[in-house]
Amino acid sequence: MRRTAARLLTGTAFAVAAVAGTAAPAYGTGGGTGRLEVYPSTAVPGGQVTVNTAACADGGAAGDAGAVGAGRFILAPSARRGEAVGQFRVPPSAQPGTYEIVAQCAADGRKVTGDLVVMLSSQRQQVYPRGSVKTGVGGALGPDPVQTAAGVAALAVAAAGGTWLLHRRARGDGI
Amino acid sequence: MRRIGNTAIAAVTAVALCSGAWLLADGTETHAPPQPSAAEARPGRPDPGSAPALPPSPPDRVRIPSIHVDAPLMGLGLTETGSLDVPPPERENLAGWYEAGTTPGETGTAIVAGHVDNADGPAVFYDLGALKRGATIEVDRRDGTVAVFTVDTVETYEARNFPDAKVYGAAERPELRVITCGGGYSRATGYQGNIVVFAHLTGSRPG
Repeated sequence: MRRTAARLLTGTAFAVAAVAGTAAPAYGTGGGTGRLEVYPSTAVPGGQVTVNTAACADGGAAGDAGAVGAGRFILAPSARRGEAVGQFRVPPSAQPGTYEIVAQCAADGRKVTGDLVVMLSSQRQQVYPRGSVKTGVGGALGPDPVQTAAGVAALAVAAAGGTWLLHRRARGDGI
Repeated sequence: MRRIGNTAIAAVTAVALCSGAWLLADGTETHAPPQPSAAEARPGRPDPGSAPALPPSPPDRVRIPSIHVDAPLMGLGLTETGSLDVPPPERENLAGWYEAGTTPGETGTAIVAGHVDNADGPAVFYDLGALKRGATIEVDRRDGTVAVFTVDTVETYEARNFPDAKVYGAAERPELRVITCGGGYSRATGYQGNIVVFAHLTGSRPG
């Protein structure tokens, strides 16, 4: 197993990462489309990881998770999103640390990278939400402004028509 | 000729009067969002078997064809009090998912939430309370697959007695919760609780 020892985090940093919440996607260096999105960005040994990148939409890419001991894998083009998507499994024997995952585009040889943090399951604790969710203010309960305006307009037409007819009648136009 | 003109004007006047009165009466009436019936809170007898779990992959979009929902998903965190945060209310066709939790399709409980209404009127999950057992919920995932869930029950819970463990707790199969506001409404305190849809994974397909 090839491990990037220089990137190993200390135990303290792990504790910080564990508290900070761990499932947000990690992005590699390089902006725009030149990044490899790793999900989850923090995985446990034995866990599955999905990576995707918009950089290699044509022809997919060759993935390399050798740093974490998972070897090579394929990123296939996904027609729906215009991205290349691949998956690999973190080896059960993987040690805690931060590892660089690499993908090389089949079309132009461009390399994109993203970071994967491996954490022991005892260090990773999922936080569950608590309580109810504030997802409404009652705005659907009030009067419908469009319908009210249409009603007012229709009554105005009725008033105009009625006035016209009364006017005719007053002149003895035979109504 | 003149008589025909008068008759036409009289007819238009009568139609305008009636439709105007109806529009005003109906438009100023309250339109409460649908609430689930007690029958939807009981699990149906034949519980369709669970499909094999999918690998973790974040979701992009949620679709509920039977109530015409088709909305993008944004990542949600927690508020300071530990409750699930919500999408910006001004975007009425936007829902969210709890991104520090389970992704829809993998083993565990994935959570999706969206507004029933905003200040301007109905929002993405206005009709969630009308959802029936056995209905289909589809989630587009970033890895290109579509996770297909089947609704087990639709429940209403009061905010002051919210069953956290039942709604958010871990599950041994891939499950999904879809949450919006519901229950009673009062002008002072707003909606009294939440409508929660319980569903589990029954299939998947390439997107």
